[in-house]
This record gives sequence, C-alpha cells and structure tokens, in this order.
Amino acid sequence: MRRLPFTVIGGFLGAGKTTLLNRLLRATTGRHFAVLVNDFGAVDIDSRLVVAHGGDTISLANGCICCSIGDSLVLALVRVLEKADRIDHVVVEASGVADPARIAELALIEPMLERDGVLVLADAASVREREADRYVGDTVRRQLDGADLLILNKVDLVTAAERADLLVWLEDRATSARIVTAVDADVPIEALFGVGPQDRPAVPGSGEPPFRRWSLTTRQTVDRAALLDALRALPSSVLRAKGILRFADAPLERSVVQMVGRRIDVRGEGPWGIADLRSDLVLLGTPDMPDDATLEALFSACRREPAAPPVQR
Amino acid sequence: MPQTVIYPARRIITMNAHQPFATHVAVREGRVLGVGSLAELEGWGPYELDRRFESLVLMPGFVEGHSHAFEGGVWSFPYVGFFDRRSPDGSVSPGLKDIGSVVARLRDIERGMKASDEPLLAWGFDPIYFGGRRMNVADLDNVSTDRPVLVIHSNFHVLNVNSVVLRKAGIDHSTNVHGIVKDAAGKPTGELQEIAAKYMAYRASGINLAEALSDEAAVWRFARVAQLAGVTTATDLHNELPESTVSGYLQATARDDFPIRLLPAFGAISLPVEEGVAKLRALLPRNNNKLRFGLVKIITDGSIQGLSARMRWPGYYNGLPNGVWNTGPDEIDRLLQAYHDAGFQVHIHTNGDEASEVAIEAVERALLRTPRRDHRHTLQHCQMADAAQFRRMAALGICVNLFANHLFYWGDIHYAQTLGPERANRMDACGTALRTGVPFAIHCDAPVTPIGPLFTAWCAVNRLTASGRTLGDSEKISVADALRAVTLGAAHTLKLDHEVGSIEIGKRADFAVLHDDPLAVPPEALKDVRVWGTVLGGCIFPSPDS
Ligand SMILES: [Zn+2]
Ligand SMILES: [Zn+2]
Repeated sequence: MRRLPFTVIGGFLGAGKTTLLNRLLRATTGRHFAVLVNDFGAVDIDSRLVVAHGGDTISLANGCICCSIGDSLVLALVRVLEKADRIDHVVVEASGVADPARIAELALIEPMLERDGVLVLADAASVREREADRYVGDTVRRQLDGADLLILNKVDLVTAAERADLLVWLEDRATSARIVTAVDADVPIEALFGVGPQDRPAVPGSGEPPFRRWSLTTRQTVDRAALLDALRALPSSVLRAKGILRFADAPLERSVVQMVGRRIDVRGEGPWGIADLRSDLVLLGTPDMPDDATLEALFSACRREPAAPPVQR
Repeated sequence: MPQTVIYPARRIITMNAHQPFATHVAVREGRVLGVGSLAELEGWGPYELDRRFESLVLMPGFVEGHSHAFEGGVWSFPYVGFFDRRSPDGSVSPGLKDIGSVVARLRDIERGMKASDEPLLAWGFDPIYFGGRRMNVADLDNVSTDRPVLVIHSNFHVLNVNSVVLRKAGIDHSTNVHGIVKDAAGKPTGELQEIAAKYMAYRASGINLAEALSDEAAVWRFARVAQLAGVTTATDLHNELPESTVSGYLQATARDDFPIRLLPAFGAISLPVEEGVAKLRALLPRNNNKLRFGLVKIITDGSIQGLSARMRWPGYYNGLPNGVWNTGPDEIDRLLQAYHDAGFQVHIHTNGDEASEVAIEAVERALLRTPRRDHRHTLQHCQMADAAQFRRMAALGICVNLFANHLFYWGDIHYAQTLGPERANRMDACGTALRTGVPFAIHCDAPVTPIGPLFTAWCAVNRLTASGRTLGDSEKISVADALRAVTLGAAHTLKLDHEVGSIEIGKRADFAVLHDDPLAVPPEALKDVRVWGTVLGGCIFPSPDS
C-alpha cells in the first residue's frame, strides 16, 4: 500500500508557520500536497491559482489542496484521507500551542500515513523570551524538544552575536534536531519536504531558494553501523536523507532509511525481487552542505566487499 | 381578548425575593401575567382555572448554563456507563456495575446488528468504579472479532477497542505512541487516550460519527433529555455553527413541540475573528423565542482528570507535568478582545487555576482597552479558583459557572491523585462565590455528566463524592442558594435573567413541575425530587411517566 508522508509544522504564534505554508502552496514541486491550516484567511494564494473553492477546501492548479482545520484536527485529517488518491503528501500546521511531535504520532496509528518530519519554527527575536514565560515556557520547550528540524526564523531581526548565542542555546536545548537559519521562512522547500528533482517538473527560475542534492550509488553492500554513524555525523545543512539499501547484515532485504533532521528511521521492506541489487542514498540540504568530495569521504567507510550472491527463493 | 389560564399549585417557589412563595400563577400569551393568591389574580379579568398542578410544586424552569447538544448525539449509540442514565425517550438505561455486564450488553447489541463490518460504538463507560480493573482487548474480543468495537469513556478522552481496531490501525507492541496503553509485557491493552483515542473513534466510524453527533435528530434528543430533567433553557456551549447546524436549529425551534430554549455558543477558534464576529452578527436577526445566538466560547486548557488542565504551582498532586493549552494566552487575549469590543458575551472554559488566572487577566486587559459595563463574561468550570481569584472576578464583573457534578463523579480521583486533599476540598467553590459576590451558576457539562439540575444542586449542597467522602464543608451552600444557582443564577450568566429564571410578572411562563418540594425534603434527598415535566412559554410538556 502507498503511504503518504505526514509532516507536521509547529512553532509558537508568530514564528512563521503560515509564511512557510504559503511558500509550500506556491511551490510547483510536482508533488500534490494536502495542507491542513488553522487560519484559512492567512493563506495567501494567488487567486489565479485557485481552481475550486468549496467550503473548507481550496484546490490549486499545482495539484495541492488547502484544508481548514476548524476546531478538530483529527476530524479534518480523517476528511483529507478520504481524498487520499488525489494527494501525495499531508502537511499539518499545528496550532501555536500544540505539541507537533504528538500530532506526528498519528502517522504511527494510521496505515495510510508515514511519519515524515516534525518541522518547528522559532522566532529568533522572541524565542528566548517565550521560553522563559511563566505561562507558555513549558509549551515552547515541548515544541523545541520534539523537533526533527528546527528553523530559526527571522534571523535578520537579531545581531550576528545574538544569532550565534541563539544557535548555541538551541543546540543545547534541541539535541535531537538539526537547525537551519532563515529569513522570512525562506528555506528550500524541496529539501525540507524531501521532494527530489525527479518529482520536480522543469520550471526554470521559479524563485525558490537553491538546495543541494548529493547521491551515492553502490553495488557493494553497506555496513549498517557505519552508515548510521555517517548520517549522524552530518552537519545541520543536510536536512534529510533517503535511501534504499542493501545492508551487509541483511543482504536479502531492501532496507529503507529515512532521515529528517536528526531523526533516523530504518525499516525492512521485504525481498529485492526483480529489483537491481544496488544501494542508493540521496541527501538533500541547503547550499552550505559539504562538497561532494567531503561527503564521498564520509560515506566511503560504509561500503563493504560484495557478499556472496544471495540465494533467490 | 387573549386567553388567561390560572394554575393553582401545592406551592410555587418563585425565586422572586419580593414574593418567594405563592399558590397561583396566571399565564397569558406564554408569559406570566401574575403570581399570588387566586383573589389577587382574578382582577386580570376572565380566566380558565386549570387544576392539573394542584398537587404539584412549580419552580422556574431550570436553566442549564453549560451543556452540549452533543448529549443528544451520543444517544444514537448505546450507553454503557456505571450509573443509571435517563435516555431521551424517558426510559432509564441501567448502570452496568462490572466489565462483564458491559461485555454482555454489547454482545446482545452486536447480535442484532446486520452488516458484519459496521462498527459498534458505545459510550459512557467509566472504569474508575471497578477497583482498578481496566477493560482490555480480550474483553471486547468477547463481543466480536469481526467488527470494530469501540467503547468511549465517560470523560470522552479515553477509548477501549477490540483487536479488529488495533489490527486495522497497525497497532502492536512496536507502536510507540503517547496515549496507547500497554501492559507489563509491552502489548497494547486496547486502551487509547487523548488524541490517539479521538482519532481512532473518528477513523473507525467514519464521518458518520460527526454527523450522528450533530444532526437535527440529535438536537431533538438533547431537548428531550433536558426537558425530562425539568430544564426549559439549555446551552450548546461550543459549536462551529456551520449553516447545516444553524438551519437544523432554526427548524427545530420553530416547532411548538420543541421543548426547550436553546443557546448555542459559537466556538471562537472556528473562524478568524473578523469573520467570526461578522458571522455572529448575521445570526442575531435569526434568533427566535426558542433560539438565541450571541454567546461566544473560548477553550483555554484541558481537563483536570485528563491531566491536561493548566495548573499553577505546585501543579498536579501526583507530580505529573502541567497540562496543555488549547488556546494560548496571546490568542485568548486576541479572541476575547475582538468579541468583547464587538459587544458579545464570552464564556471561557478554564479548568486549572492557571487557566483561570490567564482568563481573568485577559478580561482585565480587555476592560482597560474597552471599558464595558455588565459584560458578564463567564468563566466556565473554574474548578480550582482560590478566594483571591474570586475576589478579582467580583471586582471585574466576571461571572462563574462551577462544575458541581465533578465533585461527585471525579471528586475521589481529585482528592487522591490530581489535586490532593487541600485543593479537592475547595474545588468548585460555590461557598466562596457566594461570599465574594461573584454571580454564579452550577452545571453538568452534558454529555460528560448527565443533565439534571436537581442532581447538580444536590452536589453543591452536599459535596459528596461517589465513595461518600465530603469535600470541604465550608464550600457547601444551602438548598435555596443551590436552587437559585440552577434558575436565576444560570439565567444571569446567560444575560437572560430579565426573561427567565424566576416566576414573576412579565417573564416567560417557563416552569419546572415537581412532585416533591425541594425545600421541604432533607438536603441529602434533593437529587431524588421527582420531575413531573415542564411548562415552556405556557405549553405543557409532561414526562412520559407522568
Ligand atoms: Zn469545557
Ligand atoms: Zn463543556
């Protein structure tokens, strides 16, 4: 069964969630997103892109749909899944006080969904103050703690020194996340949501910030521990990784590795069947991502001598 | 000349301080023409004397200031709670005293169902009275291993399911999700909590659940359950008010036989504020005698028993972390200010004392920016407020609607686990409200607990838990004060005290008709006072057994 990636965007009021969603809805990635938003009115879509506007759903020319959450997130999600054949990816905007990691867990009890990432935005100018607030400090901490990818947004509003301080503080706080900085939530949508170039129709100069992609293909088997070590060693500029791998310790099985931020999931997807016996890994990140040679060196330790030919049953 | 009917009664408890008791009430054009002796009323001219209430007691119709029409929705599913509960047709759904009885009941229902994949959904279950024994997958697999079986707990935040539901959802020992309860061996027990529970209920039963909970039949069932308890005015205290619901409410309330006045509160979170304000303004002209739009609801935190209430220091007695905001403090400010400025009355759900504090401060700020007399913004539940918070509420003109039924249904849990003795003893502080002069009502929050103002009044008077513990003598109130809270007090919190809540010249002829005199029975027996039926705008609604 096809599972739809499920991404949750969290962050306190004013952190830039809607700005990011607007970027996502405007992007032409070739992937059909269903985006569940809190405030329909805040979605700023060019009316020329709207192909249908019915009640709590807007359908766009790029194949995306935008749905209003109203007062029940779970009900809105159930309704969206009724249209699952028309979408490729579900994105939820968590409310400003919700715990996005908890919402992401819905994917673990819904076979139609696959947990993708928890993206949390933080407003560089106010996150420290929020975190110290007597009423919402613990709410903000829960959001930061649950992030896979943390977007420190609005860094133009702070000095370079403040920004450096913030990054140190955030790295301390959100140990399980990768952190990227942004202005106006301007982050590479492709890298953030794992849209590979193969998903992307040729739209030259679409104005999206550039992102970098690096891939590895090998017919050698891959050492599981060495690969996980290499992934963990990647800097924050690498936002995600996805691979279908042939591990030395499980050569008969297709193993799928997915990394969003610092969160790494590995699962077996059954025998290779007629598929080509080779391992592919793709990394997506910002332009600051290490160069090809560095990545090549980092992952070279993963390759193992070819194992004995597998017995096909 | 319009018809006048004079009803003699054994006693009329008017809630009008000038004339607290009387023997006769005259009704004309659906309103109270006069109250007094027959001789005093005869001066109004020709009349018909209707003696049907001669041996009965009349009170102002009860006003339920915090209930949900959803109560009518849940009755389209079987009730499997611990306590007896009156259903909309007047019959009593008997309480089920152990898990075996729940399973047996569900198995009976299952046998009568046709399509084998149609889910079986039941509600009202409460394991806290079963000495620690929880329901599990095996229990519900005894009902069926073919169709999904789901049992929703009385708090509506927890759900038990059978193995069919777990399998369909792919839930097993490897599923690490908050709210999926596992046994010592790491196997899911079939109990799901909070967001996982809510999701699974909707997912397994499809969109039908949402519809069954809010269709026009549901509002009729809600009105009937309310009417059987002597209620003539009830709130539906959180609704997105989509046009389908609005037109359903308009159709129902246009009928003479619709037995209550209904006040829906618009959920402020459902729409951006400008649209919400415009929507509510557009609804006002559609109001009729039995339907009043205009209330607004803001939900701040969760529930105490669900461990999601926002509490001030020192937090939960059992040391668990603080609860969650449903609407954050900034957002509360923004919503409240917008509806306050637009002249609407806002009802604010606050369970924990931190949530109450945030709400009080939000009203204070709104008043500084836009002074407004007699706003009557009301804190709903407000279960943990202390005396200082009540004094602040009094100073700001805030009203309160306290969740007296909680004392009985969850008081033992609050005493032992969530609040601890000291705060459990002062929770739902009717005594403090009275002493500090905060206008107050008491409520049931149906369907969370059954609608029944006499029972709610009994809770406020006796403060007894299900196990028989008394929670705080100093917060008890008298029977007379409790009866006022479920009539004129609640009407005040809805800005309807000029129309209903007392039997008084010019007001609507809305009565609760009782077999027994609530002021004459021992206070411990207040909940056992029998309801004959109601009168709404002069129309008589006997209950089926009267
Ligand atoms: Zn509430
Ligand atoms: Zn409620």
